[in-house]
Formats: sequence, C-alpha cells, structure tokens
Amino acid sequence: MQDALVSIRFRLNGRPSSAEFPADTTALRLIRDVLNLKGTKEGCGIGECGACTVIVDGKAVNSCLMLAAQLDGRSVATVEGLGAPDALHPIQEAFVHGHGVQCGFCTPGLLMSTKALLDENPAPTRADIATAIAGNLCRCTGYHHIFASIEAAAAGTSNKD
Amino acid sequence: MAVIQYLRPETLDEALDHLHRSGRRTKILAGGTDLVVDLRNGEAKPEFILDVSRLPELQGIDVTPDGVSVGAGVTLAEIESSEVLKRQAPSLQGCSRTFASRQIRNVATIGGNVAHCSPCGDTVPPLVIHEARAVLAGKGGRREVAVEQIASGPYACSLPPDEIIVRFILKPVPGITFADFQKIGRRRALAIARINAAAMARQEPDGKIAFLRFALGSCTPTPQRLPEVEDHLTGRAPTAKLIWEAGRILAERTIAITGRRPSTIYKESAIQGLFMRMLAPLVTT
Repeated sequence: MQDALVSIRFRLNGRPSSAEFPADTTALRLIRDVLNLKGTKEGCGIGECGACTVIVDGKAVNSCLMLAAQLDGRSVATVEGLGAPDALHPIQEAFVHGHGVQCGFCTPGLLMSTKALLDENPAPTRADIATAIAGNLCRCTGYHHIFASIEAAAAGTSNKD
Repeated sequence: MAVIQYLRPETLDEALDHLHRSGRRTKILAGGTDLVVDLRNGEAKPEFILDVSRLPELQGIDVTPDGVSVGAGVTLAEIESSEVLKRQAPSLQGCSRTFASRQIRNVATIGGNVAHCSPCGDTVPPLVIHEARAVLAGKGGRREVAVEQIASGPYACSLPPDEIIVRFILKPVPGITFADFQKIGRRRALAIARINAAAMARQEPDGKIAFLRFALGSCTPTPQRLPEVEDHLTGRAPTAKLIWEAGRILAERTIAITGRRPSTIYKESAIQGLFMRMLAPLVTT
C-alpha cells in the first residue's frame, strides 16, 4: 500500500504546500477532503458543470477531471485565496452588488473562471465572457446578472489600474 | 480494489521502458479529462497511470519540411491560439473553438482525443482531411501510422500497449482557399458531437473545385473520408443543386455503412443539412 501513495509539493493560494494521498485521488478530493477547503464544490463530477473550477498556473480547470498528482510543482488558486469575508475581492464585490449570486453553489466556480479571464484579458467583450463561462452552469440566475457582475468587475478593474 | 500507482517519467525513454514492461496494465494520462472520468466510473482499472503530460517530445507546434508537426501533448487551448494552425490547418483550429469548455480545453490534449478513439472525437475529422500521420515511439524505435487507422472501432485503440503517440504530422496542402469544421451538438458548449465534419478545398477563380477533402465524424464507427462525395464535386463549379446532391450521396453512403437505426430518421436529414450548410460558401452561381 505504502508505495502507491503519491506525495506532491505545490503552491496553494500563494503559500508552499505539500500533500500525500492515494494515486487515484482527484484534485477536487484533495482540495475538499484532504486540505479541507470546502469552497470548491462538486456538482456533476464529470466536467460538465464547472462548480469545481480552480486556477492552475493561471488557467481555469475542472478539478474533478484532474488527478491531484497532476498538481505537483504547480500553483493552485481556489476561491479561499480570492478574498476573505471581511475583505472581498473586487470580483466578489461585483457579484454581491450585481446580484450574480442566488443559491451560491455555482458561485465559487464562476468566480474562478472570471478571475482567470480577467487576469488574461482585463477588458473582455460579452462574447469573451460567454466563452470563458460556458463551462459553468447556473440553474438559478438565468446568467444575466452574472454577465452584468463580470462586466462590472472588469470595469472596476480597469478603473483601478 | 487494486492499488493504482502514479508514475511521471522525466524522459520519453523512461516512459517507453515502463510501457515495454507493463504497457498492458497501464493507462497513459495526457490531460486526464477522459481518463479521470473512466477511473471514476470504473471503466478504466489500470495498475499504473503513466503521466506523459510534461514530456518535452510531446510539446509544441512546429513547421517542418514534412509538414506541420503537432505534439501529442498539445492542449486544445494551444491549438485554439496557434498562429501556425490558423494559417496551415484552419479546420483543426476551428474544432478547438467549440471543444467542450474553456476549463477542459486548458487541459485536454490532441493526443488524448485521438487515442481515446471516440467516434465523436472532434480533432479526428480535421486530422483525417490533412492525411495526418501519428508518429509512434516504442522501445524498438519510431514508426508512423495514418490517424484514421488508430481507432479500430468505437473506443477501440489499435495501437500496441508498448507504444505512445509522440506527434502528428499534417501534410502541407498548398493553395487551399476554403477550410471549415462544423458540428451539431445538443447545446453550444460542452456538447459531445452528434455529427461533426471537416472540409478543405481549393477553388479556382472560375468557381471550379480543383481539390476537395471531406471527413465525417460521429456517424460511423470511426471518423472517415467519403471519396464518393469528394469525387462528385471535384472538377465542377458547385451550384446549390450540386451541393444538395453531394449531401444526398453523403447521407446515403453513411447509412450504407451503419444500417438503418432509430436515429437514422434524424441523422439522414441532419448529415445532408450540415454538409450543405458547410459547403454553401463554395456556391458561385
């Protein structure tokens, strides 16, 4: 049994981290059950809903479709690294003020897809936003408020820069 | 439940050594977007997972004297943003735009898409019209095989377990004036193709089609070119009626391969319709 464990070193929300787990552990299981970061959600478990979206080396990925072992040496960002309850990230502020949240289950994934988008493209068009969040399902909002929140976040970002 | 071991070799030689010893008991992981689902639902039960995603031999998109060389580990996102493919293989780049979602494109690879051997693999029809060859590496050396020969049936890979796809070589085709990839899915993002197709053509100034390649995916056990369709249009200036006829031949040939099924009543019209929509820009009169 011993030799089947994988140990990795990686950066988690900016801090050096390490973990050990069975080889078939997904990145999502590592984040939720080993590291106990419950912000990242499991919706479908097969890459269709985007609730488990995290950022690996600057790119949005589905953590349910990735083995935890693949994170070795990588830099991982989860929603816990985005902002704190008393110090929200501007994207989170925009979602709160723009009513981009209803039940909230899809929100962490949408926030991470938005973060990856705005880091790469601070002034996205509506089509750019649609492409970036096409892999994130929301069953509550009908998406209009999410688009508006992301547009507001982008406008805020560009104002501050 | 057997214990799985995860291996990430530093070099291609190490990977090939492992496959030589234990290829049958190993699943190769490139991006993992298909494999992790198969592990989850128990369809894949390997003893070893061999992660080849960081091998340098599998990276990069280069122009070589033999053609455009695309590493098997190149992601769909890299294909989407490649300037080389924009010029040299627009239908391959086209398939990346509607491939799954941003999150999956960031990880999924062209080599994994081909080796998974889904009849619906979106990268396969574009590779087939480029007569792409897969460069395979094994302990005995390298060899090449045509991409359409990799799948022997739905999800059945014909490659021996001790070999690995290193790159794809796309033959250069000069003077192409038209190239496209089209797909019908149940929704725009994340849909597995019901029908997908790639085409490229050279149309002369007088409207005649001097050269045409067309491949259909998702409809037959493995994606394939349809020579009867290519022949019907080659050397002629397409009219709407001629495109309609070629689409008819395509639908008939496809049904001849698959037999009539419950889905045929839909697919017969949809295949012809997709073909006509795709080649409509070639109609000059």
